[in-house]
Parts: sequence; structure tokens; C-alpha cells
Amino acid sequence: MRNFLTFILSLVGVFAISQNKQILYGFDDIPQSLMLNPGSKVLQKKHYGIPFLSQIHFNGGSSGVSVYDIFKNGSDNINDRITHKIFEMKNTDFFTATQQLELLSYGWRAKNEIYFSAGIYQEFDFITYFPRDLAILAWEGNRDYLGYEFDLGEISTTGDFTMVYHIGLNKKISEKLTVGARLKLYSSMFSFRSVNNAGTFVTNLGDDNSVNIYEHTVKNADVLVQTSGYASLRELDGAGQVTSEILGRALFGGNIGVGVDLGFNYDINEDWTLSASALDVGAIFHTKDVESYHAHGTYTLNGINLLFPPLNQGEPTFPYYTNLEDEVEREIPIDTLHNGYTQFRPVKINAGLSFGFGRFNASGACDCLNSGGEKLHKQDVGLQFYSIFRPKGPQMAGTLFYHRRFTEFLSAKATYTVDSYSYSNVGLGFSADIGKINFYLAADNLLKYSNLAKAKSLSLQLGFNIIIDE
Amino acid sequence: MNKTLSLSIFAVLACLFFTACIQDTNFDQTEDIALTPVIELDLIYFNMNADRFFDTINSVPILTVRDTTEIKFLDDSTLQESLKRAEFYFKFTNSIPRSFQVDFQFLSELNDTTYVAGTSVAPGFIATPVITEFTENVEGENILRLTQANKVVVSVTIPSSDENLEGTLNLKSKTTYFLEY
Repeated sequence: MRNFLTFILSLVGVFAISQNKQILYGFDDIPQSLMLNPGSKVLQKKHYGIPFLSQIHFNGGSSGVSVYDIFKNGSDNINDRITHKIFEMKNTDFFTATQQLELLSYGWRAKNEIYFSAGIYQEFDFITYFPRDLAILAWEGNRDYLGYEFDLGEISTTGDFTMVYHIGLNKKISEKLTVGARLKLYSSMFSFRSVNNAGTFVTNLGDDNSVNIYEHTVKNADVLVQTSGYASLRELDGAGQVTSEILGRALFGGNIGVGVDLGFNYDINEDWTLSASALDVGAIFHTKDVESYHAHGTYTLNGINLLFPPLNQGEPTFPYYTNLEDEVEREIPIDTLHNGYTQFRPVKINAGLSFGFGRFNASGACDCLNSGGEKLHKQDVGLQFYSIFRPKGPQMAGTLFYHRRFTEFLSAKATYTVDSYSYSNVGLGFSADIGKINFYLAADNLLKYSNLAKAKSLSLQLGFNIIIDE
Repeated sequence: MNKTLSLSIFAVLACLFFTACIQDTNFDQTEDIALTPVIELDLIYFNMNADRFFDTINSVPILTVRDTTEIKFLDDSTLQESLKRAEFYFKFTNSIPRSFQVDFQFLSELNDTTYVAGTSVAPGFIATPVITEFTENVEGENILRLTQANKVVVSVTIPSSDENLEGTLNLKSKTTYFLEY
């Protein structure tokens, strides 16, 4: 238990959160911005992601607690701090971690002016909501909570380890409008989820008519844990076998899914631009290697009723304890199911409105970045909106940004984001072209970098590409 | 101008990444994290009629009756490590006009006695049952002995009995487990 707690707490510190890539969105100088809006403007003629290095993304966080909250130096006791936090946090607070690694990424403009882009990336995505009642029960026990109904429905968690194969089309269909779509095939390597649970657990003090001191009641329990790609791992021996088995599923050896990304970019006039995208609109169909556990029912435990049966010498009495165990299993059975299930991908919505000023080539210098004949702005300011659909509803973020092209080889973007984690998230990213090599780095929550322990979330993307301009 | 700006951007970013650190924290405190739940759980209960203490077929009193139940979780290795204190609470309601001696004998899987507890129960009356409460606190060395057991033998002894004896001896009980992980 302590190890589990430590694991969860360390997760808070190490990763950043929520898949929001507010810096990369609309950052047209970076080819990977196409992954956030397949309909964004494409400036280059071709790009090749450097294999395994074209996008490395970490994102993680916790909405209710930071590492510093728990592990700070201080004269007070760490257990008091944890107690304080457990009671302060709500059951809508959550811990998340996302990691993506682009294995291959390639894009080219065809003769019909469609920009094709294709690639493969691996994604790990995890979220767990804070099961407040169960945390209280584990931390304090039930002695001080007689009559309190602990909510089993607070259990809500999903985790996915997926390989994504994608191909996208992007076309400027009028002077003002660019649209794009991306088809994605998901190859799920490992997945678990437990959402939409229900039920309560309560310990009531009995009255004179009760058979024993207390009544421990699990009421209307309905808890379902779905796994795919897990059952077959149990029989394997050692980490090596498990790893090779999981990797073996990367090439559609596991469960398959399909989805699309859609997006557009619309120049309202010379200064204003509107864009939006919907990502991962799709589902994974888990049919292979599926194992689910479903506990349901209502049961009241009163202890063991001794009957003192008259017995002959050596004759055993009733197997009270075993009978009780059987009774619990009968009333709240845990069924193991092998039914397939469909898992919808967490849909992400991005939108942006920007105002640009200052022509990049105003000085009459080389218009190298302006290869597609686009009128690039030297500076853009704007607003962005981000939303991801999670088990307990959408999580949203709003961003103010400032984007600036300094030179033909360097541009940068600064963001200020308000989200579930904080009101003080400042991010910065830059894209630099050194010859044909493009390098980009984006990180948020910079104000916390002086002490990462205080950050509730962090997001980091970096990568290398080869860009060929027209 | 542009060069200066780009250089400063690089400088700021580089500074941030190279100076990023985790300060004013002490992860050694992980050692001090202790979950200390206190669990209240029903134990055993019974309702015993007075006629249970007389053998009507052979017309002889039965002075001691016994029953046994397993308590499998008691010698579970997790509980052995984490149980710091256990407090048993027994509440007898007696309407039989006799006193009783009730003993709890905890046995290991090999039927060795690891822990014993017992109490006397005051006599009662049909119209006005008498309540006897008994608390057994187990801690320290005794916890080790208690958690070697996985069953308990309950013995109820009556000093004397006859066929006309009436009333009921009722027991309700619970245990408070003080755990530390």
C-alpha cells in the first residue's frame, strides 16, 4: 500500500499532464503541428522526421496535489500533510500521464498540391481520478465513519498502451481555407479501464434487534474492470518475455481500432485567422485477449453465528468461516468475463483565433520561409481552447499566446494557460532550422522550473526533423 | 537586434532547463509514511437457550458447551506484520439465572494454543436480562501470539443446570484492529 502511494505521488512529480500541447498547436514552423491540426498551414515542401527523435512528448500532472505539498521540508509530519490533502482533494481531482514517441514521420507535397503526411507513433495514456472515499477508508479505517457511505463509484481509471499508424491529407482549397484529415489505425498493445462504477460500503452501529454489534453493508455494488492484452501476460515469465510479447503486438498483433483527425485553418482576413481540430475521433475494438472482472450485488456482513451443535467425540462443527466466504461470493460474485468491448478514444478538441501583424518579409529580405507564397506574419497573438474527453467529463484549458518569427531560422511561441491544474502556467517553445535540420522544444509551467516539486503539471515536447522547403 | 533576441531566447531556455530542479523537499520522508487505519469489524455472535445445558434424553446436565470457528485472516502474513493492537469487545445479555464462565481459546493451524482470554458472565432474569461487557486488549508480544492463530474455540461453562432452567445467553462481539502499514 505504501509502495502504491509512493508510486502515485512520484508520478505526480515526474510526468506532466493532459495531452494539451498548447505550444505546438498552430506553430506552423514545426511539422508536428500537423498532428494537432491536420488542416493547419503547411509551409514546407517535404519533411522527414528523424526516426525515434521527431517527437518525444511527456505530459503529466495531478490536479489536486504537488510533490512539494507532500514532501516539503518542514517540522510538521508528512502523514499529517497527506491526511490534510486527502480531505482537501475532491473525487474529481485526477492524476494523469501521457507519453508519446514518434517512430516515423514523413510528409510531402504531391503534384496536386495535397500535402500528404504519414507516420507511426507509440502512445501511453493513463488517468485515474482520486477515489477520495476509498483513500479515506484506507488511510483512516471505518471506526470514525460509522454510518458514512463510502462511494465505490469513485473508482475511475483508464490506461492504454497503443501504437498508432496514420496518414493525413492537407489541402489549401481556397485563398482563405485550408482543410485536412488524418486516418488513424490503432494497434492496442495493452489496455485497462474501470469507469462508470457504482455502489456503497457502510458500517452501521446495530440496534437491540441487530444480530451483532455492527452491520457492514455493501449496497448495489457494480464495479467493472476491463482489460485487454493482460490475461496472456500473466502466464509469462519475467520482464523480458512480457516486453517482447507487448512489442510483438505493435504491428496489429493485438486489438485494432480506427479513428480520424479533422481540422481546418481559415484566414478571416489579412490579420485574423481561425482554426480548429478534433483529434482521435474513433474507437478501439477489444476482442482478443480480453478479460474483465465484474463484481456486483448487495450484502450485509454480521460476523460469524456460532450454533453450538451437539457433537459426538471427534465430530467437526460447521465450517462457519468457509460458509461465510461462500455466502459473500454468492451475494457479491466477481465474474470473469471474456466479452469484447469497444473503447472510445479520448477525443481532443483544439481551437485557435489569432491576430497577426508585421509582415515577415516587410524589409524586402529573403522570403525563404514564405515558400508557399503565404503571407507570413512576423508576430501573432491569439487565444486557444483545448478540451479532452475524460471518463468524468471534459477537461478544458484556455491559452493566450504570442508567436514571433525572429529570423528565417528561428521562431518562438510563448503561452499562458489556465487549466484544471493552475492559473499560472507559462510555456515557451522554439523552432530552429539549422540547415535542413529542424529542432524544436516546447515546455510549459516554466515558472515552476526553479522548483519542479511545486508544479502540478508539466508538458514537454521536443524533436528533430529534416525540412525541405520549396 | 534579431541575433540578440534569439540569443537571449536560447539563454533563457537553456537556463531554465539546466537550472530546473526540485528544491526544499525531502524524499527520505517516504520512510515515515504510515497508513494507520482503525478497522471496526464484527466477530462472532450467538443465542444460546438454557435447554442447551441439559441433556433431556439422558437426563444429565451439560456443564460446558463448545464451538469452534476458523478466523482465517488472523494468521495472514500481511496482518501479522501490520497489526499493532487488537481490542476485542464482547457484550453478553443473559436472562438465564446462572452465572457463566466463557473462554476464548485461540489455536494455530496445528491446534497449539496461542492465546487465551475469558470472562465471567453475571446471572440474569427472564424479565430483566443482565448485560455483561468484557474488553480484551491485545498488544505488544501478545499480538505475535494472537496472529499465530487461525481459529478460536468458544467454551461456555455453567456451574449447574436442570431441565427447568429457562432463558437465553446472547453474545455480540466485535474487534477493533489498529493497523499500521
